[in-house]
Amino acid sequence: MSDELTFMMGEFEAVFPTDRKYASNHMWGQQRGDHWRFGFTAYAVRLLQDVYFLEWDVEAGRELRDRQQMGAIESKKAESDLFSPLHGTVLKFNGVLMDDPSHINVDKYTDGWLFDMTGDGSGLMAADDYIVHLNSVWEITQKTIKGQLNQ
Amino acid sequence: MTIHAHVVISYGQSNNPTKRQLESVLAERLAKLDGVTTLVVPNLYDLAPTSSTIQRLKTLPGDLIVLGWLYDRATHWILDRNGVLGKFGITELPIDEDDEEELDSSLDGDNEASADDMARVIDERPALDRTIYSLDLRKTPDVEVFVDEVERIVSIAAQSRPQPLLDWLQGEGTAEQMSRYLGEPETTDDATGRRWYPVIDFSRCTNCMECIDFCLFGVYGVNGADTILVEQADNCRKGCPACSRVCPENAIIFPQHKTPAIAGSPANAGGLKIDLSQLFGGSNAVTEAANERDEQLIMAGRDAVGMAVGIPKRQSGGRATDRDELDNLVDELDSLDL
Ligand code: SF4
Ligand code: SF4
Repeated sequence: MSDELTFMMGEFEAVFPTDRKYASNHMWGQQRGDHWRFGFTAYAVRLLQDVYFLEWDVEAGRELRDRQQMGAIESKKAESDLFSPLHGTVLKFNGVLMDDPSHINVDKYTDGWLFDMTGDGSGLMAADDYIVHLNSVWEITQKTIKGQLNQ
Repeated sequence: MTIHAHVVISYGQSNNPTKRQLESVLAERLAKLDGVTTLVVPNLYDLAPTSSTIQRLKTLPGDLIVLGWLYDRATHWILDRNGVLGKFGITELPIDEDDEEELDSSLDGDNEASADDMARVIDERPALDRTIYSLDLRKTPDVEVFVDEVERIVSIAAQSRPQPLLDWLQGEGTAEQMSRYLGEPETTDDATGRRWYPVIDFSRCTNCMECIDFCLFGVYGVNGADTILVEQADNCRKGCPACSRVCPENAIIFPQHKTPAIAGSPANAGGLKIDLSQLFGGSNAVTEAANERDEQLIMAGRDAVGMAVGIPKRQSGGRATDRDELDNLVDELDSLDL
């Protein structure tokens, strides 16, 4: 991995390699020939923490709208629906995660990738733009989480 | 010989052999317990109010212990809508080790939504002197866990009100007839097809009427006392959970929906776990509800209405009491285009 940028989530140092692009829903995307490989960013993984359940609601080969719901993830502390980062067609899901989703925690930028999909990635952000995006959402993210915890 | 409680086992919606197995083993085991009768019935959610099973359940006096493949809240309020009423019994099935930490933040039973001073529909009702305990069969495949819990409940029921079986048989019971009902599970039979409709949790519902305004399929109505009710259950569109997202109290349950919070999981939506969906690119609940409703309108050959009809007033800031800090944050989130 070449260069990386960091963003402080409180005491936690989230690291973002600059060799790839980022979607605003906290997935990284890396171009591989005619398609993109997506995975969770350090920011997403930090919010989720220990992932133990991952489920895809769509099959490989399906065309998805940008932001279409495609699955769900659950960790010890949190859960979330998952949404497509692009308009495009899913080619393949990472089979390794089906057996053991905790790879998301361990190897988020490598073996813990989520899926491959085709589509126009020109809207994805460079790492420094993603950091700017994180600066704008971090405050609200914290408040939202606290708000839910105090419910 | 006394009966302290009636056990009811409700079949799952599917014919899953593992489920069938647990149901029948449990029926045999529970029927042998002292102080209970055991009745095996079709899936409670699928039964019509006029079915012989529901009629039969209505005649059972005293405490009920109902085992089914649904969240406790779902089972309780399905019975309620069918006129089988009782207090919400607190059960003590062991919790998965994984969930133990969450225990503190989740509250048992029907009182989690009543912490504030909002008037709930249930507060208007006369007090009930019987308790209905619902047990979720999905919690564990271990028969003994359920047997233990039923025994625990029966002993509580026995202390509070020993109830003679003869009363239950309404005077027609002879010793031989009695023994017929003891030791063996009894089965009721009603033809059922899979149904799909909302079930209201009246310990949460404030009768705000958001749901009746939102649903364009004529599912909701009001009774003589102007209390909300699910009037035309079968008008509901299969798979549509839209109104549950609109209800400000999370009072609307779709027992078969895959999302636990909609299917009647015990905690408030997001109460057990932090829901990050909106941070990860989801839209807010009301927008989602309007989309789902449009989908159903189009499938029914009608025109989509988007956000133009029956959208909760709180979205435009109308209900000041509902707007708390979190609502404001969620609005901020919306405007951020995450
Ligand atoms: S929207 Fe919810 S709280 Fe309001 S009447 Fe309907 S069920 Fe009750
Ligand atoms: S789910 Fe849809 S059709 Fe059914 S009651 Fe709610 S809004 Fe109406």
